[in-house]
Amino acid sequence: MTHLALEVRDLAVTFGTERGPLRVLDGISFSIPAGRTVALVGESGCGKSVASLAVMGLLPPSATVEGTIRLEGREIAELPPEERRKLRGADLAMIFQEPMTSLNPAFTAGDQVAEALRLHQGLDRAKAHEAAVAMLEAVRIPEAARRARQYPHQLSGGMRQRVMIAMALACRPRVLIADEPTTALDVTVQAQILALLDELRAGTGTSVLLITHDLGVVADHADEVVVMYAGRVAEIGPAAQVLATPQHPYTVGLLGAAPRLDGPRGTRLATVEGTVPDLANPPEGCRFKSRCPFRIAVCDTKPPLYDVGPGHRAACHRAPLEQILEAA
Amino acid sequence: MSAAPLLQLDGVVRHFPVRDSLGRRRGAVRAVDGVSLTVGEGEVLAVVGESGCGKSTLGRLALRLDEPDAGSVRFAGTDLRAMPPAALRQQRRHMQMIFQDPYASLDPRMTVGQAVAEPLRLHGIVPRAGERARVQELLSRVGLRPEHADRWPHEFSGGQRQRIAIARALASGPRLIVGDEPVSALDVSVQAQVINLLQDLIREFRLAFMLISHDLAVVRHVADRVVVMYLGRIVEEGPAEHVFATPRHPYTRALLASVPGAGGKGAPLQGDLPSPISPPAACRFHTRCPHVQAICREQDPPLVAGATAATPTHRAACHFQDVLPAAPPATEHPAGDRLARLQAFFAPKPDMGNAA
Repeated sequence: MTHLALEVRDLAVTFGTERGPLRVLDGISFSIPAGRTVALVGESGCGKSVASLAVMGLLPPSATVEGTIRLEGREIAELPPEERRKLRGADLAMIFQEPMTSLNPAFTAGDQVAEALRLHQGLDRAKAHEAAVAMLEAVRIPEAARRARQYPHQLSGGMRQRVMIAMALACRPRVLIADEPTTALDVTVQAQILALLDELRAGTGTSVLLITHDLGVVADHADEVVVMYAGRVAEIGPAAQVLATPQHPYTVGLLGAAPRLDGPRGTRLATVEGTVPDLANPPEGCRFKSRCPFRIAVCDTKPPLYDVGPGHRAACHRAPLEQILEAA
Repeated sequence: MSAAPLLQLDGVVRHFPVRDSLGRRRGAVRAVDGVSLTVGEGEVLAVVGESGCGKSTLGRLALRLDEPDAGSVRFAGTDLRAMPPAALRQQRRHMQMIFQDPYASLDPRMTVGQAVAEPLRLHGIVPRAGERARVQELLSRVGLRPEHADRWPHEFSGGQRQRIAIARALASGPRLIVGDEPVSALDVSVQAQVINLLQDLIREFRLAFMLISHDLAVVRHVADRVVVMYLGRIVEEGPAEHVFATPRHPYTRALLASVPGAGGKGAPLQGDLPSPISPPAACRFHTRCPHVQAICREQDPPLVAGATAATPTHRAACHFQDVLPAAPPATEHPAGDRLARLQAFFAPKPDMGNAA
C-alpha cells in the first residue's frame, strides 16, 4: 500500500471580520496517497481555495487555522513560519489560475525557475540556469534556451502556465497544489496543460491536489474527489464512483446543472435553486437543506459522513439516495 | 427560421492597426477577416472559438458598436453603416448586449430600478408615470422581486446581477440580443438558472440571439446554429446538431476533443495559436492541423458544404472535409436512469422569488 503524501484532518479556518468570526472552513478531512491526484470541487465560496492556502501556509494572520496537516507523515500546521516557508517551493508547491499575475514581470522565465533551485538546492547561478532550461524542456516549451531569456509578457498564456509548472516542479515537491490551473486558458491549451500535469505526475511521483469547479476535469484527471459545500465536505470518494453514483443531493444537482457534450440539447437544465448560505450566520444542521428537495426533519442536525460504498462517503442523512428512489 | 434574417453580415472585415512606439503603422491585427452570417428571429446563433479568434469583435460589429473596415451589417434589411446617426439611435432600442462580467456592466451609482429604467427613458418607451410598474414587471420576469428596484448593484450576487443586466437589456423591447459570454463568469448551478431564463426569454419574445461563447457544452445546449471561428475567419458553420455530431473541420474536432469530461478523445492540439497579425497563408489552420497536405499551404479553402455533408447548410472551410477519417462517435453517455430520476426532484420551479 502506498503511503499518504498529504493528510488533512479536521481542518478549520476562521477569519476575524467586522461582523464577527467567519468560519469559512468547518472541519474537513482528506488525504492524498503518493503519486495520486485528489480534486477539491465546489462553487465559489465553498472553501476549496482556503483549504489549499491553509495547506500551503499562505493564509493571512487574520485567519485562525485548526486541525492537523501532515506532509509525508510530518505535522506541519504547527511549524513556525520560517519552517513553513522552507517547505514552500521545496516539498510543497502551488500553481495558480492566472499565470500572468503570479509571474514576476521583471524577471525572465529562466530566472524565475532558477530562483527556486538556488534557494532550496543551493545551486550556483550557472548550474541553476542550466537546470532551469532543462525544466522548461520538461514542460515542453519549444526552444527552451531562448524562451528562458524571455519575460512573461513575451509568452502566451499557455506558455506562462508551463513556466509556472516548471517553477513549481523544479525542486521535485512531494505535493503540488494546482488551484484552477487552466480556468483562464482556452480549451485546447487547457487540454495540453492537464495532459502535461498527468504526465509529470506519473514521471515524478508527485501528488497533486487539484482545485477545480469543473466536473469534466475531475472525470478526466482525478483519482479521488472531495465535493465541498459551504465550508464542509459534502461527499468524498473515488472520482469515477462519485460521478457515476453521487450520493449527496448537492453533487446530484451540480451534475444536472452543467450542460454536457453528450447530454440532451435544448431541455431545461436541472438547477439547484436558491443560494449558498451566509457563513456568518450558517443554518443549523445540514448546510444544503434550504436548497435540497429531499429535506426532512432530521436535516436540522448536522449529518456525519456516512459510508455509502468502498471509500465513498456522503454527508447526507438520506444517503444512500436509493432509499428515495425506492420510496418514489 | 424566417425567410429574411433579422441580422445579416456580409464579408465583414475589421483590422486593428498595430503601431510602433513612433506611431508608425506596423501591420494590423486581423480580428475579423471576411465573415458572413445571419441570425433569424427566435434563433440562437452561437459564435465559438478561442481567445483572439475575433468572436467578440464580431459581436460588437453586429451591433455597430464598432465600424467594419469593409462589408455590410444589415438589421431588418437596412444597412446600419448607411444609417444617419439619429436613425441609428432609434434603431438601437431593438439591439441590445449582455456582457460577461455583471460586476463591471452595471453602474454602481444607479439603483437597480434606475439601471433598468434608463433604456425606457432613453427611447421614450413608457410615460414616467408607468415607469416604475414596467421596471417591476421586468424584474419579476427575470426572477427578481419588484422591491429589488430600490437596491444597489453591490447588494446582489453575480447571478442576480446578470439577471439585472438581462432585465435592462429587455427593457427597450429588443429584437436582437448579443450575449458575449453571458454565463461564463457564473458558478455552474447559477449558470444553469441563467441559461434556463435566457432560453425562456428567447422563446417568449422571439429574440434573435447571438451567443458568443468559448464553452462548447453550453453552446451545444442552447444554440440552433453554430459558427466556429479561427483567426478571424469562419472555419465551420451549420445546424448545432450536425456540427456537434459530425464536425467537418479538423479545428472543430480538436475543440470538441479538448472539452474535459468528453473522454479525452484523441491527442490535444499541438502548439499555440498563430499571431492574428500575420496569420498563416492559405488555410489558416494548416500549422496545427493533423491532416495537413501540400494544398493546405497553397490554397485557401472556401467555406462550402462538401459532398458528404448531411445538409447543404453545414459548411466547412477544409479541402478534405469529405475525406477526413470518421470523427470518433459522440459518446452517448446519458446521465443514467438513477441520476436522471434523482435530478427530476430538482426540476426548476417557476422563475420567481429568491433566485440566485
